[in-house]
Amino acid sequence: MAGAAPVESGKGKKKALDASLNLVPFIDLLSCCISFLLITAVWTQIAGLQVASSGGPPNEEKKQETIDVKLLLTDKGYALNIAGSSIDIPKVQDKEAGLTFDRKTLADKLKTLKATLPDQQAITVQPEDAVAYDDLVNAVDSCLGEQLHAVTVAPLN
Amino acid sequence: MAIVTPGKRPCARIAKSKVFGAKFARGKKGGYAELMLTSLVDMFTIIVIFLIQNFSASGDVLYMSKDIKLPYAVHGAQLERAPVVSVSADAVTLDGKQIAQTEDLTKSDVLNVPELEDALREQKRVYDQIHANDPEHPFRGLVNVQADKKIAFKVIKKVMFACNQSGFGNITFAALAKGANKDAAAAPVN
Repeated sequence: MAGAAPVESGKGKKKALDASLNLVPFIDLLSCCISFLLITAVWTQIAGLQVASSGGPPNEEKKQETIDVKLLLTDKGYALNIAGSSIDIPKVQDKEAGLTFDRKTLADKLKTLKATLPDQQAITVQPEDAVAYDDLVNAVDSCLGEQLHAVTVAPLN
Repeated sequence: MAIVTPGKRPCARIAKSKVFGAKFARGKKGGYAELMLTSLVDMFTIIVIFLIQNFSASGDVLYMSKDIKLPYAVHGAQLERAPVVSVSADAVTLDGKQIAQTEDLTKSDVLNVPELEDALREQKRVYDQIHANDPEHPFRGLVNVQADKKIAFKVIKKVMFACNQSGFGNITFAALAKGANKDAAAAPVN
């Protein structure tokens, strides 16, 4: 508890040096704060990956597009198509999930692309119909991670 | 000799002493016990600080459903408040209201979803009506799409097509913020 200096009364009788604060209102206030914050708390952190879809309104960032880069998601894996030349990134065997997309290699290839073309912002992600939302989000996430911000999602067929 | 309670007994001189006599006093103890409130206040303060640090002024943007397990994303930004299209294994909903069955969309080869387009057009009409005299907040066509991580792109592309057709071209995929960019997801988007 906090202490406070006593005021001399002048009657000669010594007062105790420690004055006790009334903590009850403070505890009431803290209890109200805790209740309010617990009720309004958001426990799940949601991230948003902004994409454009093919046929949508023209995006300003699209104007900065330097070359045509496409990332195809097929049942075999990724296929990175840079100005006509294709780089295949096959799926890898995972102990738990089985055959999965090779995100690490994709990130490396995108990093190389970004190092070669620093102004490149646009990329088109084209998944097959059977590709899961999880894999689509992972691909878009990898693109955004390599500073390719103008991601367009278009169907492969 | 009188019978007394066993225990320590002071001699007459000590019992009368103002300094030592109180030690042997057998009077009634006070009925009130004083609680040590300092540690309680400390604990409350720590909880309040922790909760304030995690406080989000924007609140929940998405309706989290048990049927939808979102994938994780590292490089996401914060979601903005916009209509939410949710795709679970059973149904496609717009702001919690069921629009179509996911199974129907999976089986069908037609690209458009008229029910979703109509519902989104209605949302756009309401927005335009509300902000008719508000040039600072023009319609930006923002829409949040959240889907279960196992949902096939065949369904997602139909949802995206419907959004596009009804003027909602700024699509944001929802995911759970993970790892390095968790702070970025919590930070406002410029």
